[in-house]
Amino acid sequence: MFDVDKWLEIFHTIITNPLRTVLTGVSVALGIFILVVMQGLGFGLQNGVYKNMQDDAINSLYIHSWATSLPYKGLNAGREITYKNDDLQHVVDKYDEVTTYSGRMGMWGVAMEYGSETQNFSLRGVHPGHLELERSIVTGGRFINAGDVADARKITVLGKTIVEDLFRGKDPIGEYVKINGVLFRVVGTFEDPGSKWENRNAYVPITTAQRVYGRNDQIDMFMVTTGEMSLTESIEMAAEIDAYLKEKHVVHPDDKRAITVNNNNESFAEMVNVFTGIRTFIWAVGIFTLLAGIIGVANIMSIIVKERTKEIGVRKALGATPASVLGLIIQEAVFLTTIAGSIGLVAGVVLLEVLAMFIDHEFFTNPTINFGVCLGALILLIIAGALSGLLPAIRAVRIRPVEALRDE
Amino acid sequence: MIKLTDVKKSYGSGKNLFPVLKGIDMDVEQGELVSIMGSSGSGKSTLLNVLGLLDSYDSGKYLLGGTDMSNLTETTAAQYRSKYLGFVFQSFNLINFKSAVENVALPLYYQKVPRKERNAMAMDLLEKVGLTEWANHLPSEMSGGQKQRVAIARSLITKPRLILADEPTGALDEQTSREVMDVLKEVNKEGITMIIVTHENEIAAMTQRVIRLRDGLIESTGR
Ligand SMILES: Nc1ncnc2c1ncn2[C@@H]1O[C@H](COP(=O)(O)OP(=O)(O)OP(=O)(O)O)[C@@H](O)[C@H]1O
Ligand SMILES: [Mg+2]
Repeated sequence: MFDVDKWLEIFHTIITNPLRTVLTGVSVALGIFILVVMQGLGFGLQNGVYKNMQDDAINSLYIHSWATSLPYKGLNAGREITYKNDDLQHVVDKYDEVTTYSGRMGMWGVAMEYGSETQNFSLRGVHPGHLELERSIVTGGRFINAGDVADARKITVLGKTIVEDLFRGKDPIGEYVKINGVLFRVVGTFEDPGSKWENRNAYVPITTAQRVYGRNDQIDMFMVTTGEMSLTESIEMAAEIDAYLKEKHVVHPDDKRAITVNNNNESFAEMVNVFTGIRTFIWAVGIFTLLAGIIGVANIMSIIVKERTKEIGVRKALGATPASVLGLIIQEAVFLTTIAGSIGLVAGVVLLEVLAMFIDHEFFTNPTINFGVCLGALILLIIAGALSGLLPAIRAVRIRPVEALRDE
Repeated sequence: MIKLTDVKKSYGSGKNLFPVLKGIDMDVEQGELVSIMGSSGSGKSTLLNVLGLLDSYDSGKYLLGGTDMSNLTETTAAQYRSKYLGFVFQSFNLINFKSAVENVALPLYYQKVPRKERNAMAMDLLEKVGLTEWANHLPSEMSGGQKQRVAIARSLITKPRLILADEPTGALDEQTSREVMDVLKEVNKEGITMIIVTHENEIAAMTQRVIRLRDGLIESTGR
């Protein structure tokens, strides 16, 4: 049952020493405040980076090529490597786990014209799978389909920025844009929430791009998903592809530049590790700050006990048992830390909420902490309070009434 | 009620062993009003503290209401104090941040008596010592005599069988001392045994029997 009397006793002693109560409270509140805010900032950074990473499918390999950096089999360094359709086809055929794939062939600074507007944007030839791999969102019409690629149709899906700049509010679906002098029918529009630069692209079927630009069967890079593969399996797959492509394109096995297979699974796993580390560090810092607060409370409680020696002696003479004295001091410490800590907790959460409202940086979003962390902090506080009260309480129990009551 | 047989107590240890009670034999009947006198340092306070279970003794036997009081744990000692004993001190020992009525009611808190009930009882006792109007005042707002009457009311609230008073009038003038003694005598008339340590002959004269202490030994039992 809730013991009103006990609480009145505690309350009484607390308001009798307001300055001390406030000073103690501040140290604990500050400790928990720092813990909460740092946790929140950690989460914010994590959320930001995760969101950024989720711009692209996490379970995917991105395969790029570049000029060779090492001479090999009589070939000089600096030779440009270019992938072909069959490189992509090999990977798609070999691995059952590859559910989605896309090649990519791009051009920058391409003039696009609609009505009286002409502006430069980027053009990208892609497969239908590009939508899922790049995590773009179709905002109108449809995306490129298999038929478009097979027939090398002159259709396009426009990024948000192009739609805004060229069409100025007009519905672009079904309209024709002139891209580098060739007419393309707009079948859809898209938006990429992850990165704004994506929105400056016009997607066309990869076959169309290859034909229009005379690139035959060349692709700049390609990407595939790894499906349900585990991290180790995906790392293995990436290594196999790397070896296969080097062999086929006559690249030195140690050449790190000519062929690169980026495993997003691996980068993501590394990132998760980094953030687990950061969060652990933040907990450690927070706990040490709190520890300083606890020592403060313990210190102040023992001063209180010392000052109240006489009073405790009187209480004992009047029938207070050791247990009740122990309980009084510990409850007081717990009460102090919990109240002060809760204030720090709330202040921290409020600050984070305010920050969340104003800050939405690419690498820093939504710095709120979850309920679990709050609960953990509260439990920590109560334990901390009890611990800080324990030593002074034991000292109070040891006070002998005769000594306390001796008249000086 | 009280029976001490060869009770000894020393302070310090080894070479610095300093005997204070050197073998006290004494008994007090139920309902008696007894005073203890003796020169300063003769061990009066020490004896009273032993009687009040506030301090331990080294050897001998102490029977309180027929029960042996040796080797009590702190908790049982606290329970005996709470149930059977009341204390009045020279320096009052009120809790300075509690009002008169709260001070009086405090011992009942340790008997887990509900707040309303114990405050009502405290008010009754304050009325008895003539301090109804002062119930909500802090000790710092009261005179010595008033404070001592609050302390007496506090010692009475648990309906103890024995009240121990260490120089209850030591800090009071003659007039107030007499008033306080009147209250104590009233209380004794209700059957509560009372032992008063005092320096003053006038105070001792108001009791039924004077036990004289000299250098840690009973000089006379007043019988
Ligand atoms: N805690 C202690 N440690 C050492 N000596 C003590 C302690 N308490 C009391 N004494 C000594 O024991 C002796 C008796 O003390 P006590 O307080 O019983 O005397 P008293 O008769 O009450 O004297 P007074 O009339 O001055 O109050 C004194 O010599 C005192 O110095
Ligand atoms: Mg004395």
